[in-house]
Amino acid sequence: MTRALTRTFGNVTVGVALLALWGVLTLVGVVVEQGKGAAAYFASYPAPIARAIVRLNFDDIYHSGWYLASIGLVLASMTIATFTKVIPRRLPPRRAVTIDAIPLHAHVTVPGDEATIRARVERFFSTRGWKIVRRDIEGTHWSFADRHNWARIGVLVNHTAILVIAAGTILYWARGFAGETAILTGQTAQIPQTRALIRLDRFAYTVAPVLTKGGMLYQPIDYVSHVTVVGRNGVPTPMVVRVNHPIDVDGTLVYQASYGFGMRFSVTHDGKPVPALSSRTLVEGDALAIPGTTQSVVYERFVPTVDRRTQMPSSDPRVNDPAVILSLQEDGTSLGAVLDPLRSSVDLGNGWRIVPQRAVLYSGFQYRYDPGVPLVAAGSVLLLIGLVISFYFLPARLHVRVDPSGESACTVGLAATTVKGYDIFETQFRELVDELRKRID
Amino acid sequence: MHAMALDAVLMVLALGSYAVGALALVVYLFSREGWLRNFGATLAVAGCAAQFAQLGARYAETHIWPLLNLYGSLSLFSAMSVAIFIAFAFRYRLWFAGGFVLALAAIFLAYGVTWNEGVMPAVPSLQSYWAKIHVPLVVSSYAAFLVSFVFSMLYLVKYYANRRYARNGVALAPAGDGGAADPALRDTPALAAAAEGGDAVAEWFGTLPSLAQIDVLVYRTVAVGLPLLTLGVITGAAWAHEAWGAYWQWDPKETAALASWILYAAYMHLHTRHAWRGLRCSWWSVIGFASIIFCYLGVNIWISGLHSYKV
Ligand code: HEM
Repeated sequence: MTRALTRTFGNVTVGVALLALWGVLTLVGVVVEQGKGAAAYFASYPAPIARAIVRLNFDDIYHSGWYLASIGLVLASMTIATFTKVIPRRLPPRRAVTIDAIPLHAHVTVPGDEATIRARVERFFSTRGWKIVRRDIEGTHWSFADRHNWARIGVLVNHTAILVIAAGTILYWARGFAGETAILTGQTAQIPQTRALIRLDRFAYTVAPVLTKGGMLYQPIDYVSHVTVVGRNGVPTPMVVRVNHPIDVDGTLVYQASYGFGMRFSVTHDGKPVPALSSRTLVEGDALAIPGTTQSVVYERFVPTVDRRTQMPSSDPRVNDPAVILSLQEDGTSLGAVLDPLRSSVDLGNGWRIVPQRAVLYSGFQYRYDPGVPLVAAGSVLLLIGLVISFYFLPARLHVRVDPSGESACTVGLAATTVKGYDIFETQFRELVDELRKRID
Repeated sequence: MHAMALDAVLMVLALGSYAVGALALVVYLFSREGWLRNFGATLAVAGCAAQFAQLGARYAETHIWPLLNLYGSLSLFSAMSVAIFIAFAFRYRLWFAGGFVLALAAIFLAYGVTWNEGVMPAVPSLQSYWAKIHVPLVVSSYAAFLVSFVFSMLYLVKYYANRRYARNGVALAPAGDGGAADPALRDTPALAAAAEGGDAVAEWFGTLPSLAQIDVLVYRTVAVGLPLLTLGVITGAAWAHEAWGAYWQWDPKETAALASWILYAAYMHLHTRHAWRGLRCSWWSVIGFASIIFCYLGVNIWISGLHSYKV
């Protein structure tokens, strides 16, 4: 039973089938958009397909049992193949062959005596990096020339590399964590797992207007967060986070991810300020419930610049003519939305008024602690080395015998074998034999 | 001359060289006139040089790495396809296949020009030295796979031609040691027999390498593409680690690249099996290239993600 299982799993064709399965599942996740609610799939696919997507977990395929199982099977198959096929396969013993029966063979006739010619042939190959071993087999003198024999470990290096990468990934699942946080200017957030504190002192962004064929485009150029970090050593340290330049807080990396505008509103009722509703800074999407009613006002979005001509939000992300989009909701359904310039008041009915007072930038960060990174990096380097070995160092063996032919001449018989068949070595073998012909005299 | 005008001139030069070179080499494939090969090869080298000069001129003028949009990356894709092919053609005397490579390069380049949106500074996530390493590696791997695709197609054409001749009842040459007199027809006995009988088409197939040799060419180009793709995925992961906070995000682009990587890793394993070499491996390589094109263009154009760099 175990043997049958090992034999099946160690079979390369089964391995390829498993790789193909893994590849196809990977592609499914590209074609089917991931992480949408069930309703989104029913909206964009015919019902039976949408049902299948949701039932089969194709909406979050990379975290599904299917996917993990396919990777697990690939790793199992690869490991078994390595132990049952790759490692036991040693260099075949050096034995006599029938030169003409091997597809890659040649005969070169050279004047001279056997010993001199043999020495010359051996020198020809050894100066070109071939390792010569002599054997007397049943009275015949054979020279064996091996090249890149060490490169047989290439497969082992590759397979080990894949396992090392897998180990690095598993280490992250077991010990790592990740999260995200948005911090308003002047406020402090904590990374819960490490208790490190991050205070956003200032956030700035730079935008370049670019005139393209499609019209004016506002290309973001830079996002910078100036922060003060208090890590394990308790010392407040000023740091700068930029895109592509994360900071390291006690081994956890903190990255610049996004930004947005918080808003301070002042709310009045019958002309009198209502401090309880005016003290908070809302971020986009937040709502204020209006006391004594079932209504709430939602701060939908900040508009950095209103187009003067159309009085509509423009796509310019720089703050020139700021406004906010507010919507009034009753029991969760929208009663309508307005574009309200900063410091201008909106009547909410029943004596309630709201004024967007002051925008406050916030910066969005991602943080991640991943102890598996060194392993994944090491595995990647190993994988590259393994691929180069496997593809560019072809282990090959030449079987050479020298036989007297006629009075003062000998025939050198050569036959070549490689670990990847004959065709792959054909051109090189012909070139080698041609050169031998030229040089041997 | 103003650098931007130089940029346009070089582009026209490259496109023109590829188009004429493709024509010359396709005619060479059928006529085997030496001068056509030399002419086509010269145009291939000239077009490729013009393309690299064009990318250089663009960089010199704008100081913006020119590969970060679809226009720039398609330019590099076609330039690298031609460059890799030139290297193989000189090493293994393969100019007969150059017409197809140049034609594909011209098509991809012309398509790339339609995405030219003018000069655009890079968004923050693309302002990284990784961009200068990762993009050329990935695009070069695609280019190598394009060349292996061309060889796979040649394999399939020759294989099916042989089968057709066999079906049509060509008397097979007696199987000897190695078969036919023409080594290029040794593993296509029906073509060999027809060629002996004076069939011009079959004789022409004798100008292509043997099936086994074409299969080796496919393998060798995949052996260039796969390490490059591996390096491309790894440098992409290193960049993502710096830019997005995680080396792997299951973003459609990286995932599609992973799928192609898996397909080509499977190809390589299939190639270790004698029974799978040749026909099935060639089909596999065709499918592999389809997945590369999906990963390269399909994902950019149809699927949005962190990696969309259409404009
Ligand atoms: C399903 C899982 C796998 C199985 C069963 C498997 C099995 C094998 C076997 C038996 C060989 C030796 C073939 C021969 O020379 O006759 C081999 C070669 C090789 N394997 Fe794997 N392998 C698997 C996955 C992988 C993966 C994911 C990689 C990563 C790239 C890989 C890289 C290699 C390389 C580079 C070679 C050498 C190929 C050549 O010499 O052309 N393997 N594999």
